[in-house]
Amino acid sequence: MSDIDIKRISYLAKLKLPSEKEEFYSNSLKDIIKWVDNLKKVDTSKTEPLHNVTEKTVSIRNDEVSKSNSVDDVLSNAPERAQNFFKVPKVVE
Amino acid sequence: MKNSISQIKKALIEKKISVSELYDEYLAKAKSGNNNSFNLVIDRENNISSINDSQNRYDNGNPLLLDGIPLGIKDLFCTKGIRTTASSKILSNYIPNYESFVTQQLLNDGSIFIGKNNCDEFAMGSSNETSYFGPVINPWKNKNSQKDNLVPGGSSGGSAAAVAEGSCVASMGTDTGGSIRQPASLCGIVGLKPTFGSCSRWGIVAFASSLDQAGPLTNCVEDAAYVLNSINKHDFNDSTSSNHQREDYLVDINNSFEKKIKIGIPSDYLEDVSDDILNQIDNTKKALSKHGIEFVDVKFKTTEYALSTYYILAPAEASSNLARYDGIRYGVREDGESLDDIYLNSRTKGFGDEVTRRILIGAYVLSAGYYDAYYRQAQKVRRLIKNDFQRILNEVDFILTPTTPNEAFKIGDKLDPISMYKNDIYTVPTSLAGLPGISIPSGLSKNGLPLGVQFIGNYFEEKSLLQLAALAEKELSFNE
Repeated sequence: MSDIDIKRISYLAKLKLPSEKEEFYSNSLKDIIKWVDNLKKVDTSKTEPLHNVTEKTVSIRNDEVSKSNSVDDVLSNAPERAQNFFKVPKVVE
Repeated sequence: MKNSISQIKKALIEKKISVSELYDEYLAKAKSGNNNSFNLVIDRENNISSINDSQNRYDNGNPLLLDGIPLGIKDLFCTKGIRTTASSKILSNYIPNYESFVTQQLLNDGSIFIGKNNCDEFAMGSSNETSYFGPVINPWKNKNSQKDNLVPGGSSGGSAAAVAEGSCVASMGTDTGGSIRQPASLCGIVGLKPTFGSCSRWGIVAFASSLDQAGPLTNCVEDAAYVLNSINKHDFNDSTSSNHQREDYLVDINNSFEKKIKIGIPSDYLEDVSDDILNQIDNTKKALSKHGIEFVDVKFKTTEYALSTYYILAPAEASSNLARYDGIRYGVREDGESLDDIYLNSRTKGFGDEVTRRILIGAYVLSAGYYDAYYRQAQKVRRLIKNDFQRILNEVDFILTPTTPNEAFKIGDKLDPISMYKNDIYTVPTSLAGLPGISIPSGLSKNGLPLGVQFIGNYFEEKSLLQLAALAEKELSFNE
């Protein structure tokens, strides 16, 4: 197992760990990754990955238009809104 | 013994109690809140029209399946107009404008919601200690140290405690790696995880989509069949919802089996377990042998890999599912100067330690360079685990295991994550295989705490699984 770059992982997860907690999470992650490392010894050279456990249940509805959420419904939980939009700080200059 | 749904319905039909009186009885207990089992108790006035409608149906002689039955709902199910938090700070202000499929079925069948049950944050935990709203207290006490507060198990800990303390007749929970069965066992009640694909996941706050499944926590097996009759339906809004024909789970539940039944006990599950746990298996075996049921030893080849597989796949799916919490569209926003700062601040301050840990594990095992070694390898091993179960279920009709490796422990006792994760050693393999499992109370430990056993059945064969559980329950039932 290679070392865990906690800064990179938290960047990927869009989290900004406080510096005093970096070591806590880094050690915790190391322990867990070491613990799950036993999977590496399982021979899976002839095994396909399993995505959906019941494998044949996927059902697709007919593509029909139906009325669901209104704009107000969708925006009702927005922390900030402006008219019919979610409001965020300026992104493009 | 607490009253079952059929006993309560009988009392309502015979007018020994009104829907309103019944509701008030449970509401009062829920409001007293001694065990912190509810994140939110719904105001009486919000339920008044449902109570009146239900009473009218009883008065007219045509009550629905769950008419007037007060239910708890794990705070992971979206409930229209009612705050739904997943016990997380980041969703602490979220009011859904739609109803989850499962809770809609329960409403259609006349039940009345008491409130939203506390749970582990985003259902990640085995002790209900990760909730933003504080831990739930198990209503049971260790007879040798009465003053200690014990965990109810998790993640559906509030649901289990609420049923055990009598503040709802039954509660809807969810189970990803044991989150219904483990708390049911630690609180001395019944918990059923149906086959993956039975009950729609639509409107349930997502944790690990290939594993999450809704199911009931109840006082008895028959009550579980009542709830399952209501919620087990196909739904086009969940692409993994199975569209097979459902059975009536109440009919024949008390009948004996027509054919000879063989149950496998995996001996590898019982290595290094305490006498308390071994006794549960022995008692169950003795009780069911009287009914001509045969027990055989079975051996799994994959047990040692189940927890590792789960703790790669579940965090991977969680890190992907929880990417939606960004402080923009709903949930709590933490201010920041740029859009990116809002994302970072909202997520970092909004998630608790365990959720953060699992997001990080997930991000790691999915990241470039590690994806094949961890995530893809775990998906392959998952197939081997499924094949292992199918091999065993070709030899026997059911599998019997302990539900948990121990009784309820003290709040604050297990600090390191791995020892906490090991609590789910008997429930996780079933979840990975997608099979149905039910935990029923089987006896008390030396400390006077409830323990349970788990029966595992074949895919979509909940009917015979409930029949077996009902038979075992009759033999094993203990009075508080």
